Amino acid sequence: MSSKTMSRDLFGDKRMGFFIYLFVEAVMFATLFATYIIYTPAEQGPHPSELFEMKTVVLSSIFLLSSSGTLMIAEKGLERRNANLILTGLLITFIFGATFMYFETHEFYKFVSEGHTVATNNFLSSYFVLVGLHASHVLFGLGWMIVLLIQRELLPYTLFEEKHRIFNYYWHFVDIIWVLILIIVYAPYLF
Amino acid sequence: MEFYLFGELIVLPTDVVAAWVSVILGTPIVLYWLTKKRHWPVIWDYATSTNHRKIGTLYIIFAILFFFRAGIDALFIRLQLVTPENQFWVFQGDKYNEIFTTHGTMMIFFVAMPLLIGLMNVAVPLQIGANDLAFPFLNAIGFYLFLTGGMIFFAAFFFNAAPNAGWTAYAPLSTYEFTGGPNNNYYIFGLQISGLGTIFAAINMIVTILRLRAPGLKLTRMPLFPWASLITSFLILVAFPVLAIALLLLQFDRLYGATFFVGELGHPVYWQHLFWIFGHPEVYILALPAFGIFSDIISAFSRKNVFGYTSMVIALALIGMLGFMVWAHHMFTVGLGPFANTFFAITTMMIAVPTGVKVFNWLFTMRRGVIRIKTPMLFALGFIPTFVMGGVTGVMLASAAADMQYHDTYFVVAHFHYVIIGSTVLGAFAGLYYWYPKMTGKMLDEKLGKWHFWLFLIGFHLTFFPQHLAGLNGMPRRVYDYTWEDGVFVYNFISTIGAFMMGASMLFVIWNVYKTHRPKKENVGADPWDGRTLEWYVPSPAPEHPFEKMPIIDRRDALWWAKQEGKPLPVAEHHRASPVSIRTVQPFVLSVALTIMSFGFIYGWLWMQIIGGAASLGFFVLRAFNDERTAVYRKEEQDNEQ
Repeated sequence: MSSKTMSRDLFGDKRMGFFIYLFVEAVMFATLFATYIIYTPAEQGPHPSELFEMKTVVLSSIFLLSSSGTLMIAEKGLERRNANLILTGLLITFIFGATFMYFETHEFYKFVSEGHTVATNNFLSSYFVLVGLHASHVLFGLGWMIVLLIQRELLPYTLFEEKHRIFNYYWHFVDIIWVLILIIVYAPYLF
Repeated sequence: MEFYLFGELIVLPTDVVAAWVSVILGTPIVLYWLTKKRHWPVIWDYATSTNHRKIGTLYIIFAILFFFRAGIDALFIRLQLVTPENQFWVFQGDKYNEIFTTHGTMMIFFVAMPLLIGLMNVAVPLQIGANDLAFPFLNAIGFYLFLTGGMIFFAAFFFNAAPNAGWTAYAPLSTYEFTGGPNNNYYIFGLQISGLGTIFAAINMIVTILRLRAPGLKLTRMPLFPWASLITSFLILVAFPVLAIALLLLQFDRLYGATFFVGELGHPVYWQHLFWIFGHPEVYILALPAFGIFSDIISAFSRKNVFGYTSMVIALALIGMLGFMVWAHHMFTVGLGPFANTFFAITTMMIAVPTGVKVFNWLFTMRRGVIRIKTPMLFALGFIPTFVMGGVTGVMLASAAADMQYHDTYFVVAHFHYVIIGSTVLGAFAGLYYWYPKMTGKMLDEKLGKWHFWLFLIGFHLTFFPQHLAGLNGMPRRVYDYTWEDGVFVYNFISTIGAFMMGASMLFVIWNVYKTHRPKKENVGADPWDGRTLEWYVPSPAPEHPFEKMPIIDRRDALWWAKQEGKPLPVAEHHRASPVSIRTVQPFVLSVALTIMSFGFIYGWLWMQIIGGAASLGFFVLRAFNDERTAVYRKEEQDNEQ
């Protein structure tokens, strides 16, 4: 077997495997979206339109959605083997992701401090489980980016490139889920 | 049993005490035996391997251990029910709830699933000419997740907290208000962790089958077991994430005061929907691989190619597809309305069509074949009538109006034991006898195998056939007592006798394995059954990376035709890259971390949740910097520069 095509074959396997994994995640989120739609608005307790704030939602969306764009910078860097582009892309994406997490935490904190917890009513339960699962995905992605930045120094380039590309799929997927959250969770009660 | 410990009154049922005593006495003996016989190197070899055959063997070993555990539960259930108004040991009331919950959950998730995934692990890569599964490391992770989940669930009983809401964990019974205590938390975490492992196994299987086949082995030339595994894996991809979310929601109800399934705002029926959207495909996840095993075995032992290959594949796919459209037939009595009940009744009955196609194809495969009645073939022959009977009662249950009478009676119990034991368990046994030489290099004894088969099959029908009649006479399931006036004593009595016959048949399995490995015998050759598919091309037991030179496949059963024509299979020099294997203890690290985290959640100890959770996340970092591909990729880069 010629070892020259090895990384190509193995990357192909991994990409297919990871796409299937993302499909699994999509089924999980789909179930949570269904749960949210079934239980919202709840017959008792706060109504979503009383709680959601346009400002937080818009700001957090701007940062998260554009982070998918800034990740493209890193992707360009991967194609051109340009270390600076990769570093820049990853750092900006990290900062944008972290800013999103700031707004998200702010929103959760605000709800909880006003007494609207996961046990208040079924709208809030399903909101917290769904949006919380998404937020934990973003958080995991942030940790992943830190790991990637270290791996950049340690791994052979083809392996780093593979891992970076897998991360890109993940991050774009998390962004798509956020778009769906905007449409299904927030939009009906903000507009 | 009651005693004081540190001034607190501790009440322990005597069965738990007995279990602890036997573990405390048994462990040193087992450890001594393992040390004396110098088995530790072998154990270490298997525990740290990422080879598909070894991991498959581990799946099967632990599945059989859990099988004995859940089987003993079944015998206890039968002893409690042997006569009316019986008081066997402690198994009344809530203890009985615990024991049937453990029996059901364990048999489905920790016996049937790993038996099949284990056989897939052993056989599928060899049948398609792959040197290993696509992701060997992930495969080890998947196994350890199954083992961790199984052990967590297993441990519940030892802490006198076995889950007690049935294997379906119907809400609101399974919520905190009605079954407080840690019991059903064990259910949640045992299933959550092992379910994740199942998802990984399915991903691995799909990528392996789609990308790692031998040159020329088109999907349309693939044996039927890989086909069944492929379709099963797709079912897993949709079914298990739904279960994961259902368990997550139940966890929020139980631990954090959410009310998804309980209270004024919650919908208990939503749990039923989620559970059966998982649960019904799960039935086909259990059945389809068994169908695949039987197809290969019947073809091999009839010395004929599979009759109606294309229709077999289409039938598998149709059953898989219809499997997603029938879940509410478990909920006919909920009151979903006539339209929903009609819809689900019709889709359910439709499943009988592709299943019938398969049954006839098996029969036609045997027709005019040169049939050799070996143990695997015996199990296949026993499967066909048994499964057909289960299928017929299935169609009876599918008619919604009649189901109002059958629902939650022993008729249902009889039905699902006929289909699941009839297909999955008989299939797993058949596969075990069939591929045992490929796993270990030794053949299991034929005579003892036949004893096992006949005792098991007769015991099975004795156990479960009378349960139809008990059910039609109104005996409800999951109830620990009945009266003389109920008129179901005879059925239950026969049923108990049959159960013990099945139990006895399993002793023959132990004896058989012991007898097979006792004298140091030479390994059998590559092809002890005169097989048709590619796994019989490589030595027994299958070595790691067995396909140094890839055989080129130009038709179905290419190995068979090559043998007939007396020519070796042509081989390809250059083929795609093989997966990279590694010796690793990392999955074990993850297993420990997840166990700590799960016990933290089960008992609500926040510090333990944090430690276990941090350790589980830390595992990802550990993995990120210990990737077995690093050296391989570095070498490739150096080669390319030269």
